[in-house]
Amino acid sequence: MSTQHSRPAVDPETRHRAESFIYRETDLLDAFELEAWLELLADDFTISVPVRASRDPGSEQDEFSSRSYYLREGVERIRERVGRLQKEYAWSENPRSRVRHVTGNLRILDAEGDELTVSNNQHVFRSYGDKPDHDLLSAQRHTVLRETADGFRIADRTVYLDHTVLNTKNITLPLL
Amino acid sequence: MATERSDPSRTDRLVERTESGLEDGRFPIEIINDEDVYQAELRRVFARAWVYLGHISEFEEPGDYARRYIGEDPFIVTRDENGEMHAFLDSCMHRGAQFCTAETGNTSHFRCPYHGWTYKNDGTLQGMPHMNEAYQDLDEEEIQLQEANLATYHGLIFGRIADEGPSLSDYLGDFTWYLDVLFNATEGGLTVVGEPHRWEADYDWKTAADNFSGDSYHVLTTHQASLETKELELGPWEELDDYLEAAYLSCTDSHCAAYYLSEDPETYMGYPEEIEDHIHEDLTPEQRDLFARSVFHFGTIFPNTSYIHGIQSGGWGGPWVCLRKWQPRGCGKTETISWWLVPEEFADDDSFLEDSHSGWNSLSPAGAFESDDLTVWEGISESSGALTHEILESEGNMQQGMGDMTDLTETVDDPVYGPAETTWQGSYFDERNSRMFYQAWCEMMSGAANPEGER
Ligand code: FES
Ligand SMILES: [Fe+2]
Repeated sequence: MSTQHSRPAVDPETRHRAESFIYRETDLLDAFELEAWLELLADDFTISVPVRASRDPGSEQDEFSSRSYYLREGVERIRERVGRLQKEYAWSENPRSRVRHVTGNLRILDAEGDELTVSNNQHVFRSYGDKPDHDLLSAQRHTVLRETADGFRIADRTVYLDHTVLNTKNITLPLL
Repeated sequence: MATERSDPSRTDRLVERTESGLEDGRFPIEIINDEDVYQAELRRVFARAWVYLGHISEFEEPGDYARRYIGEDPFIVTRDENGEMHAFLDSCMHRGAQFCTAETGNTSHFRCPYHGWTYKNDGTLQGMPHMNEAYQDLDEEEIQLQEANLATYHGLIFGRIADEGPSLSDYLGDFTWYLDVLFNATEGGLTVVGEPHRWEADYDWKTAADNFSGDSYHVLTTHQASLETKELELGPWEELDDYLEAAYLSCTDSHCAAYYLSEDPETYMGYPEEIEDHIHEDLTPEQRDLFARSVFHFGTIFPNTSYIHGIQSGGWGGPWVCLRKWQPRGCGKTETISWWLVPEEFADDDSFLEDSHSGWNSLSPAGAFESDDLTVWEGISESSGALTHEILESEGNMQQGMGDMTDLTETVDDPVYGPAETTWQGSYFDERNSRMFYQAWCEMMSGAANPEGER
């Protein structure tokens, strides 16, 4: 995960549109409006959630794996997953988790051609069933937004988790 | 989970009840979540069994190390400068401090952060600050890190804390016939790719080990949503008319496996065709045929190691090998550690790796399949701890396949062939695997097998 980017020249209007897009898109995830969320994905959309490992302090290897992912899929499988989650017997989200993203540190990392790379930090709160406790997933998300005739579409997303051992029973799509 | 209770004979009574219950396919539900039972498991099962620690391909260079656990005890598995493998307790022999700070790495020495004692990666003392002033009369030879016994089987490294016990090959016994078809299937053997998935949740390690020992019955309900995929390629699963009729179950004394097999002797789980050129010459014709007709295998090595080898149903990717460790993290808490392995012959084949990763990924915490299991397992754990089960002495049921319970399962000699009894459709309608798993558990938990009576 690289955080050192020179600040790309993006006009305030584009920056504002990108931020609003991320907020709106994240709201759809929180609300489990996944069909509407699918509409925002480009046809070549990919998503990756790399495994993070604690390395020897002297190690030159990045903490984020370049080979192992909790999730790495293209749009076809993501559509299947959305269909899957909507089935009544998709037990992972039946009953549905109460999910809330708290999004911060929105920054434009890169602007090239018709694509913008947006970074945001997030704490994703999840509570489930008839229980007082909750899980919290902390991450930085890098999203590539592509300008199209219908507005932005998400071309790629990488979720860099702050966990080496996940502390939740599963990570379904709305938690990313 | 009434933790104030501390009646040492209670665990023994529960083990006895389990032992006699199993004869009739029953078990006390409360053993799934009980603090006393859990503490006894750490001492009687985990300290005495051969516990999986890692794969040899993770430790190629001298100095390579990984932090792994036996029971809840932290060990450092390392290859020393002479190429020997060790597993040391991560606890300094001065005052007990922990000195390993990462999950994996490479080092020739471990330096304790408390007073600076330093150990070589063979566990012997290298030195300490102010040695000449402070330790003029110390027997340095005597100071060594605590070490577990190690043994390997086709690349799998197992460790045992107790000094006494069966050798690894006696411990695995006849089950190696089945394991060979996985770990010795190709000439190059298996290799670990990348880093494992790790996630902790509120379930008991036995629930998972039992599930992987051969429970296809749950797939029909738990994984219904993932099986109903419409748009994905099904691969070799397409050729099976009926999943139930393609399923078989085999168990030896303590370890269990289940199989989905095709009629087609060139199935090979959907591996690229070249796999046929790499089959290990040590496989017998029967083992070779079993692999050739395979779509999917899974199983459990007692106590807490499980594996899957196959291509995912529903079209979610593969083939892949996943090696699982159900790492106890306290009563009712388990960390799943899931390694991804591939045959060495395909370790550089990018398109194979991509499909293989998808299959492995389908069983990650974000996976289309796995995400449903854990919801169920957490519920098992919570409700099994109910006081009602203790007071009413509730018994759960594992009677499938006993007596006249079904006329569907048949005992067959092939196509699994191995030394254990195999039942056709057994992973759906025969719970002998679960009974076997809990019998093995009883054996290690019972006083008879535990002469010192250590608690
Ligand atoms: S505890 Fe390790 S040097 Fe003192
Ligand atoms: Fe399952």
